[in-house]
Amino acid sequence: MTGREWRDLRNGLLFISPWLLGFAAFSVYPLVMSIYYSFTEYNVIQPPAWVGLDNYRELFFEDPLFWKSLYNTCYFTLFAVPLSLAASLGIAVLLNIKIRGIAVFRTIFFLPSIVPIVASSVLWLWVLNPDHGLLNSALREFLGFDGPGWVADPAWSKPSLILMSLWGIGGAIVIFLAGLADVPDTLYEVAELDGAGPWRKFWHVTLPMVTPTILFTRVMGLIASFQFFTQAYVMTHGRGTPADSLMFYALYLYRESFYYLRMGYASSMAWMMFVVILVSTIAVLISSRRWVYYQGE
Amino acid sequence: MNEFKTYLLWALSLLAAAALLTLLWPREAETDAEAAALAEGRVMITHWDRHSGHEHAERLKFIEEFNRAQHEVYVRSIAIGYAATMEKVLTSTAGGAPPDLASLDSGFVAQLAPQGVFLPLDDFVASEPSLHEDQYFPHCWDMAWLDGHVWGIPSTTDAYCLLWNKKAFREAGLDPEQPPRTLRELEEFAARLQVRTPVGRVERMGFVPWLPWDHTYLWGGIFGGEWYDPVRDAVDLSNQPAIAASLAWQQSFTYLSAAEPHAAYALPVAEVDGFSEGARDYFSTNNPFYSGQVAMIVEGEWQVTFISRYAPGFEWGVAPVPQPENIPPSAYGPTGILDVIPATARHADAAKTFLRWFYTKRGPGLTSPASDYNFVIHNIPPRREEAAEPRFSGNPKFRVFVEQLDRPRIITYPVMPVAQYLLDQHLRQMERVILHEVSPEQAVQEMESMINKELRRVREQVRRGKQ
Repeated sequence: MTGREWRDLRNGLLFISPWLLGFAAFSVYPLVMSIYYSFTEYNVIQPPAWVGLDNYRELFFEDPLFWKSLYNTCYFTLFAVPLSLAASLGIAVLLNIKIRGIAVFRTIFFLPSIVPIVASSVLWLWVLNPDHGLLNSALREFLGFDGPGWVADPAWSKPSLILMSLWGIGGAIVIFLAGLADVPDTLYEVAELDGAGPWRKFWHVTLPMVTPTILFTRVMGLIASFQFFTQAYVMTHGRGTPADSLMFYALYLYRESFYYLRMGYASSMAWMMFVVILVSTIAVLISSRRWVYYQGE
Repeated sequence: MNEFKTYLLWALSLLAAAALLTLLWPREAETDAEAAALAEGRVMITHWDRHSGHEHAERLKFIEEFNRAQHEVYVRSIAIGYAATMEKVLTSTAGGAPPDLASLDSGFVAQLAPQGVFLPLDDFVASEPSLHEDQYFPHCWDMAWLDGHVWGIPSTTDAYCLLWNKKAFREAGLDPEQPPRTLRELEEFAARLQVRTPVGRVERMGFVPWLPWDHTYLWGGIFGGEWYDPVRDAVDLSNQPAIAASLAWQQSFTYLSAAEPHAAYALPVAEVDGFSEGARDYFSTNNPFYSGQVAMIVEGEWQVTFISRYAPGFEWGVAPVPQPENIPPSAYGPTGILDVIPATARHADAAKTFLRWFYTKRGPGLTSPASDYNFVIHNIPPRREEAAEPRFSGNPKFRVFVEQLDRPRIITYPVMPVAQYLLDQHLRQMERVILHEVSPEQAVQEMESMINKELRRVREQVRRGKQ
C-alpha cells in the first residue's frame, strides 16, 4: 500500500468508527456473550454460574411451554408469510397499472405501515373486541350473526393475528413495485403479439420475472415472523393469553428473561431460534434454485 | 492548501460531534426548580413511583411539600407504571444506575430482595418509633419481611370486597340493599342478575369469579386452602381438596355446550372469555362494572375514588366477599406498596430523610403525609392507627374495606421469591380450567410441580450467589 492508500484507509475507518464501535459494543459483544450465557444460570444481578447443557436439556425435555410457543410461532409463520406474500404481490400488481392518480392509491396502501406497531395493535384490539368491536358489530348488523371471540378465543386468536399481519404489508408492496418496474415491457409486447390475455401475461411473464423479489420478501418475512413479538406483547399485556395461544417464541423468551430473571435460559432459547431461522432460510434458498428465475441466466 | 482543508474538515467534524454530545448529554437538573435546588447544594434523589395517573399526580403534591419544607434534599419523582416494573428495576440495577428510592409492589420486592437488590432497612426502622412493627397490620408488616430482614416501608395496602350494582339488583327484582353473604347466595344472585337477548347473547352477567382479573389466589384461600407452606418452603396443593374445589367452582361458571348439564349462573365459554377481554377498559366509563355488563364484582378499596371519578352517579354497594358456609370467614388483602431503597443507591441517606418526613406526623394531633396520601387516593394506610382515623372510617363504603383487615385470617400473597411466577401459573391454569381444557385436579398437579421446581431453582441460585 502506498502512503496515500494508508491515509485513505485510516480516514475511512475513522469516519465509520462510530458505527464500528457501536456494532462491536451493541451487536458483536452481546452475540458472543449470549453463547456463553446460554450455558449458565444468570440473573443479571449476580455473576453467571456455569451449568453446562442444563438449559438446553430443560428446553427440550422439561418445558412444555417451549414447545407450545414454538408451535404457535411456526403456525403463525406458516400462514402469515404466504398470505402476506400473496396479498402484497396482488396489490402491487394492481398498483402497477398505469391509471390516473395511481400515486394516491399507492400512498393509501402504504399508510398503515407508518402507524407505530403499538398504536395499531391497540387499535386492532378495539376492532377485534368480541362485544363492541368494529368487526363483530358489523357482522351482527349486516350479516345478522355473532362473530367469534377473535383474540379472546384460543381457537381464533392466532388467525386473528395472521389477519392483522396483512395490515403491515406496505413495505413488501413497495419492494414488489420496484420488482415489477424491472420487468421489461418488450416481454409483455411479445406476449401480446402471441395472443396472451392479462392472466397469462401475469402467470407466464410477471410471476417468473419477480421470483427474485418473492424470494427476498419471503426470506425477510420468514425471519420477521419467527421473531414476532410486539403485537402479541401489547395485545395480551405480555401474557400470551388466552390459554397460551398467543405465547409466541420471542414473547416467551422475553418473559423468561425479564419476568423470571432467567437470562441464561433465555439466551439458550435465542440460539435455538437462531438455528430454526437458519435452517428454514437455508431450506428456502435451496428450494429457490427450482423456482427463482434470474434475468440473463 | 489541500492539507489545510483536510484538517479543517477534521476539526469541524470533531466540533460537530462534541456539540451533539453536549446537546444529548443527560442534564442533572431538568427543571428550573431542580437547578435551583442543585445550586443551593441540596442532594437530589430520584424516586420511582409504581402509581401512575391521578395517583402519581397526588403523590407529587406531597413531594413538592417536602421539597419546600427543608433545604437538604430534593426529590424528583417519576411514574414508572406497572407493566414493565421488573424490566426497569432490573436493568437500572444491573447498569449501576438505580433510583435512590422506589415505591414498588410487595411481590416485586419479595422476588428481588433475596438477590441483594435492596438495602435492608432494619437499623432505620429500629431508630424510628413511628415505623415500629407494632404500628402495622401484621400482614402488612409481613410483606416487608423476608429472610430475617426488613426490606421496605409499607406505604399503602388494599382489601377486596364484593361490589354490586344497585340498579341491576332492582331490575332483577332483588333488594338493592341486600348483597349475597354466602357462595350459595352469590350463585343464586348471579343467575337472577343474568340478562340475555332473545337470541341468547349475554347482555349482562351476574358474576364472574375472574373479573376484573384472575382471582384464583383469592378463591383458593376463601375455600380454605393455603397456596404456600412457609415452614416447608414449598407449594403443597394436591393434598388440599379445597384448592381443587375452588378451581372446580370457577369452572362451574362456564359451559362448552348448552346441551350439557350446567349451573343456572353459568355462561357459554366464548361469551365469558370475550368479556374478560373487554374488561381491559379498566380506567374508563366502559369498565364492565360501571357500564352494567357485570352486576357484581370483587374489587379493591380504590374504587371509592375510581367510581366517583369515572362513573359519577353510579349506584353501588360494598360488602365482604361471600364465603363458603362451613368455613370461618377470611379477608383478602393480597399486596401492598413498599418504599424500598436499592442497595446500590447513591444517596441512601437522603432517601431515608425523605422517608422519615413522609411517615412522621406533622405535629401533635396532626396526620402524616403518608396517611394523607392514602386518603387522597383512597388506599388503606398499613398502620392501624392511621386506618382508624375518622376520615377513613367516616366514609361508610370505605369503612367496609378497612374492617376486612381486622378479620382473623387475611389471605395475602406469599412472601417468597417466586410469588410472581406463582400468580402467572394460576392465570395459565385457571384459563385452561374454565375453557374445560384440563380438569381442576390436573391443573393443581401441574401448578404444584411447576411452582416447586421454579422455587427450588431460585433458592439454589440465591444460595450460590451468597457463597
